[in-house]
Amino acid sequence: MPSTFTLQSLALRNLKRKPLRTLVLITSIGLLVSAFVFVLSFVRRVDSAVRTASDRLGADVIVVPSGSRGAAEDILLENRVKSFYMDKSLIDRVRQIKGVDALTSQTYLVSITGQCCDVPETVVVAFNQDTDFIIKPWLQKAIGRPLHKGEAIVGSESSLNISLGLTEVDSHLFGNMFKMVGVLEKTGSGLDTAIFIDESNIDDILRKGKTSLKKDQISIIFVKVKKGVDPSKVAGDIGDSIVEVNAVARKDIGRNILGTLKELNRIFFVTVVLASILSIFLVWAVFSAITNERAWEIGIMRAVGAREVHVSRLFLFEVISIGVAGSIVGVACGTAVAVMLAKNFMLLKKVSTDLALVERAVIALISLLAGTGICVAGALFPIRRLKKMEPLLAIRKD
Amino acid sequence: MAQIELAEIEKIFRVGDQTITAVSATSLAIEKGDFVSIVGHSGSGKTTLLSMIGGIISPTSGKVLFEGNDIFSLNDDALSSYRNLKVGFMFQFASLLPVLTAQENLLLPGLFGPAGRAADWKKAAELLDTVGLGEKIHAYPSQLSGGQQRRVAIARALMNDPELILADEPTGDLDEETENEIMDLLRSYNRENNSTFVFITHNRDLASHAKRQLMMHHGSIREQ
Ligand SMILES: Nc1ncnc2c1ncn2[C@@H]1O[C@H](COP(=O)(O)OP(=O)(O)OP(=O)(O)O)[C@@H](O)[C@H]1O
Ligand SMILES: [Mg+2]
Repeated sequence: MPSTFTLQSLALRNLKRKPLRTLVLITSIGLLVSAFVFVLSFVRRVDSAVRTASDRLGADVIVVPSGSRGAAEDILLENRVKSFYMDKSLIDRVRQIKGVDALTSQTYLVSITGQCCDVPETVVVAFNQDTDFIIKPWLQKAIGRPLHKGEAIVGSESSLNISLGLTEVDSHLFGNMFKMVGVLEKTGSGLDTAIFIDESNIDDILRKGKTSLKKDQISIIFVKVKKGVDPSKVAGDIGDSIVEVNAVARKDIGRNILGTLKELNRIFFVTVVLASILSIFLVWAVFSAITNERAWEIGIMRAVGAREVHVSRLFLFEVISIGVAGSIVGVACGTAVAVMLAKNFMLLKKVSTDLALVERAVIALISLLAGTGICVAGALFPIRRLKKMEPLLAIRKD
Repeated sequence: MAQIELAEIEKIFRVGDQTITAVSATSLAIEKGDFVSIVGHSGSGKTTLLSMIGGIISPTSGKVLFEGNDIFSLNDDALSSYRNLKVGFMFQFASLLPVLTAQENLLLPGLFGPAGRAADWKKAAELLDTVGLGEKIHAYPSQLSGGQQRRVAIARALMNDPELILADEPTGDLDEETENEIMDLLRSYNRENNSTFVFITHNRDLASHAKRQLMMHHGSIREQ
C-alpha cells in the first residue's frame, strides 16, 4: 500500500501540477534572496573591514596636517595613494599635550608611475624605527629584525608584491635602488598595499628630487595616550592647541568612510525593501490565482471535514516549500555573487577582509527566513479569504 | 426528538442588487433511519436545502438542528467534525481531487478526522470494490468516466460510517443497471446501519420507492 498520503504530500503534488508557475515563483524568491545575501554580505564586510583596519592601527590618536584627515583615512583604510605634509617640529608640540604617552611619525611618499623600471604607483611609507610602534609588530613577524638603509619591506597586497610575486627583487623607488627584504603579513588595513622603508633613506630621496617632499617634513603622527586617558579628549586638546593639525581618535577614524558607506547601505536597504514588497505582491497575485483555481477543491475538502486550519496548513506547506527552495537557490547564488563581486568591486577590494564562515551562515539564515517569510506574508491573505469561504460557495465558484 | 429539524430556514442569495430566494421559510423534521427522496424542478432549491442540512452553507435565517443542536452555532472545529463524522455528502457535481487516486480520494476525510491521517487503505479498497471499481483503485479521476467518478464519490461518502447520508442526484449519470445496483447498496446501508438517507433525484420512479417523498417548488417544500 502506498503510505505517502498526507497533507504535505498533497501540497507537493499540487506544486507539481503547475511546474512552470512553481519554478517562476522559486526563481523570483531566489533572486530576491540573493539580493538579500549580497546586500547583507556587503554591509557586514564593509563594516568589519573598516573596524578591523582602525582597530589594528595600534595608535590611539592620529595627527595629520589640517584638512588632510580624509586623505589620511584614505591611506590608512582604503589603500589610496595620497600625500600630505607638515613640519617635523610639530612632533615636539604634540608631545607637550597632556595625556600623550608615546608618539611616532611617518612620511608618505607617492612613487611616480609611468617611468621605466619604477614600481607601480604605491604609497611608500618612511617610518622612524627608533620610535615606531605601528609597523614593529608586523616587521618582527616578517623578518625578525629592523630594516637597514636601502632595504624595503612590502605589504601583503602590495601591487609590487602581486606583480612580481617575489620578495627579494631590487626595485627603483624615486631613483634609488631598494632591496626588498620581506612581505608583511596581512593586516586588513591600508598597510597592506604600501612599501615601507626607514626614515634614514629620505635624505637620499630628497637629493634625487623626484618627490614633492621637502626637507624636515612628515605626513602623520601616531599617538599613544597614557593609561586611563580618553583618546577623544587628547585628540580634542591637540586639535585645539595646534591649529596646523587635525587630530582624530581611533574610534573616529573611518567615520567619514563609514558615513559614505552608510548612505550606500541606506540605498541598498531601500532597494531591498522595495524588492521585498514587490515580491509580496507577486506571491499575493499568484496565490490569489491559485486559491481561485482551487476554490472548488478546497470547498470539497471542507465539505468532507477539513477545518480552516487544515486549509491553512495545506497552503502553508506549499508556500513554505516554495520559499525554502527559492531561498536555498538564492543563498547559493547570492553568496557566489557576493564573493565574485568582492573581487571586482573597487570599494570592497580596497577594504577587503573576508567574512568568517559563521557570518556567512548567519547571513544565509537571515536571508532564508526573510525569503520564506515574504512568501508566507504574500500568501496569507488569499489563503485566509479562501478558508473563510462557505464550502458550497467555494465549490460553485468558477 | 427528530434527528434533523429544520426550523423556518431561509436562504437568500444576493447577486449585485438582485436577491434570489433559493429556499423560503421551510420547516421539516427527519427521523433517524428515514429514507427520503426530494424531487423538484431545476432551480427549485434542492441542492441549497440539502447543503444547509449538510452544514456546508449557512441559512440566511432559521436553524438547522442535528440531534437538537443548532449546527450553525458551532465553531469551525465542531462544525467541521459534524461534516466529517456525521454526514456523508454526495455531490451533484464532480467532487474528486484530481491529484489523488480513487483510493486516496476515499481516504481524504480520514486526513481531517480524529486520526488525522489516511489510515484505512483496506476499507477504501473494499468500498471501491462494492461500487464496482475494484480494478480502478489506483486510477486518477482524469482516467475515470463520469459514472465511475460518481461511484468513487459515493464510496467516499460512506468511508466514515456516517449517520446521515445526503445525496444530490447520486445516480445522475449512471446507466439503469448501475443505478439500480447503487440504489440497492445505499438502501441496504440505510437498513443495516439505521442511518438516515436523503437523496435528490429527477427520476420519479426512484423517488417513489422512498419511504418518504418530498417535493420542492420555488424554494418551498411539501410532502407528497
Ligand atoms: N451562489 C449562488 N448565488 C446566487 N444564486 C444562487 C447561488 N446558488 C444557487 N443560487 C440560486 O438558487 C436557486 C436554487 O439553486 P439550487 O442549486 O438549490 O437548485 P436545484 O434545485 O439544486 O437545481 P438543479 O436541479 O438544477 O440542481 C437557483 O435559482 C440558483 O440560481
Ligand atoms: Mg442541484
